[in-house]
Amino acid sequence: MSAVAEKVAGKKVCAVNSEPPVEREQLPMEVMFEIERHLIREARLLDEERIRYWYENYLTEDIVYSMPINVSRYRREQTRPLPGTNPGAGAFMDNYELIGMRITRLETGLVWMEDPQNAIRRFLTNIDAEYLEDGSGDVIAYSNFTVYRNRRQRDQNITYGQKVDLLRKVDGKWRCYNRTIHMDQRVILDKNVYFFL
Amino acid sequence: MKDVSALIQENGAVQDRSIYWDDDIYLLEQERIFARAWLFLTHESQIPLPGDFIATRMGEDEVIVTRHTDGSLKAFLNSCSHRGNQICYSEMGNSKSFTCAYHGWSFGTDGKLINVPLENETYYNNIDKNRFDLRQVAQIDSYHGLIFATFDPTAPPLMDFLGDMAWYMDAFMDVPGGTELLGPPMKSILDCNWKVPVENFIGDGYHVGWAHAAALDAIQSPLTSMKGNAPGYEPKTSGIQVATEGGHGMGIIWDAAAALHVNPAYGEWIDYRTEMVREKRGEWGAKLYNGHWDASIFPNCSFLYGTNTFKHWQPAGPRSIEVFTWTLVEKEMPEELKQYLSVMNMMTFGTAGMLETDDGENMEGCTGTNKGWVTRQGKVYSGMGQINEGPHDELPGIVSDGIVCETSYRGFYRAWADMMSGKSWEEMSRGGSRRSIKEVA
Repeated sequence: MSAVAEKVAGKKVCAVNSEPPVEREQLPMEVMFEIERHLIREARLLDEERIRYWYENYLTEDIVYSMPINVSRYRREQTRPLPGTNPGAGAFMDNYELIGMRITRLETGLVWMEDPQNAIRRFLTNIDAEYLEDGSGDVIAYSNFTVYRNRRQRDQNITYGQKVDLLRKVDGKWRCYNRTIHMDQRVILDKNVYFFL
Repeated sequence: MKDVSALIQENGAVQDRSIYWDDDIYLLEQERIFARAWLFLTHESQIPLPGDFIATRMGEDEVIVTRHTDGSLKAFLNSCSHRGNQICYSEMGNSKSFTCAYHGWSFGTDGKLINVPLENETYYNNIDKNRFDLRQVAQIDSYHGLIFATFDPTAPPLMDFLGDMAWYMDAFMDVPGGTELLGPPMKSILDCNWKVPVENFIGDGYHVGWAHAAALDAIQSPLTSMKGNAPGYEPKTSGIQVATEGGHGMGIIWDAAAALHVNPAYGEWIDYRTEMVREKRGEWGAKLYNGHWDASIFPNCSFLYGTNTFKHWQPAGPRSIEVFTWTLVEKEMPEELKQYLSVMNMMTFGTAGMLETDDGENMEGCTGTNKGWVTRQGKVYSGMGQINEGPHDELPGIVSDGIVCETSYRGFYRAWADMMSGKSWEEMSRGGSRRSIKEVA
């Protein structure tokens, strides 16, 4: 019997998400406020191209900054291991050093496609944050984003997705030590994703 | 439509700009190139078990590629033989069958029609199911794990189609334990004609220092010396460019396999393996293995050996492509090295890659300007290096000095012109772009 026929016959082959969310300690109002403003200010600094400042003040040196591939498979196979030995496919999986290289490239002034300057505008919404369940005092923050890019005369693109951040307080300031960016696209429809989120 | 035989001139050195823009030329390419040539599908490691499948395209034709229950490879159209609906929307997985979402017709992993709902009640058992098997490719085969197929039953076997290209690629494909493409691939869109990235990868050593100046500066590897194409850089002595029969080709920089890497682990691996390759394939084999390659396999698949990126440029209309990007590794590499190479492939030639973004912009620019009617009446030029190329004493193909020339561009466009003119495989082998280069000598 085919999988479709099994479903039709009433056999439960797959279902929408039935897992309850992880129970985590909630943030007091002032910490929630700090996290929200932190993420929003970060987006403004990036919009203003203050990338080196962002690099030095918003990230930790052990950061993992990644955009994994969202493989489009049937629900019944979502959790099946992928074939082959790939330790992880994505659009990027950067450490602190690699992010630094990306920034250095932009700073050379030799990136022809960034001249004239592109307009990039980031919109963050649906910010939600909780304490991580490991008791470290670190915070997991979810946010939805819209990125509007406009280039040259008529070249424009809008991309949607979600950021999942792990933030820790270093010398009284929040810094991100893990950022996973989920694009709501299997095929990246913009010509590239060489920008920071 | 313009006269097809006039689109490519001067032995492949001049292209009519309409070939990057016109709808009718694109439609003819689908018929005469993509429905005839061997096309890359995937790597065997992506479908290791019976029932494993991937969904991809051959030209604009949607296909499903499977490992059948008997272990053989199959590829067939991903379109129901009843009313034509697309059958499989999952890009990969494992399944005993493929069932159409419209009326529930079901097909086996070999594309055979196995179930028609209400067959007795509606067709009164009067349907010949054999008539409705999904259309198979004419031939399917693999070369060291890379799976190719063709819709043309008259096409030569895969190894003949690859010809001398396979001899060159053996240097790094035929290693102990074999090679692998790490997938699933990244996928992205570029608004360019499919031939632009193919020609870039097949033989554009010229743009490296200029288009990628910023990336070469930021990565600070041995290749940084190419930055800006500045005086002092000697492209002539740095490597070779090769056009093999059938429109394949490559540029190779000697002693540079690991040259775009900052982590010494990959260079150490290459050094260790070079000795093994030398024992098996001699001095040229070792030199090829330890070189950095930019290459394309006719018609629409490319790779950079050394930077470990493998590309499939899927045409999606005359002015758009879908780019599939895999990481090319040796199976016996340690896990950490594969991880590092995967990360660096994303970093350099992924859709957020430091070099890919430079190229994508230029590829779109080379296509988009042809929207102008006057512009489109013009030509573009790939005549570099015609005076220092020819048959080589020891290597197959037309070989030129240095990687900065356009020898392999011309080979690609000679093959393109031959196929577009509708020549038979026999005609192309006898006097055309598929004749052995040794005969030319």
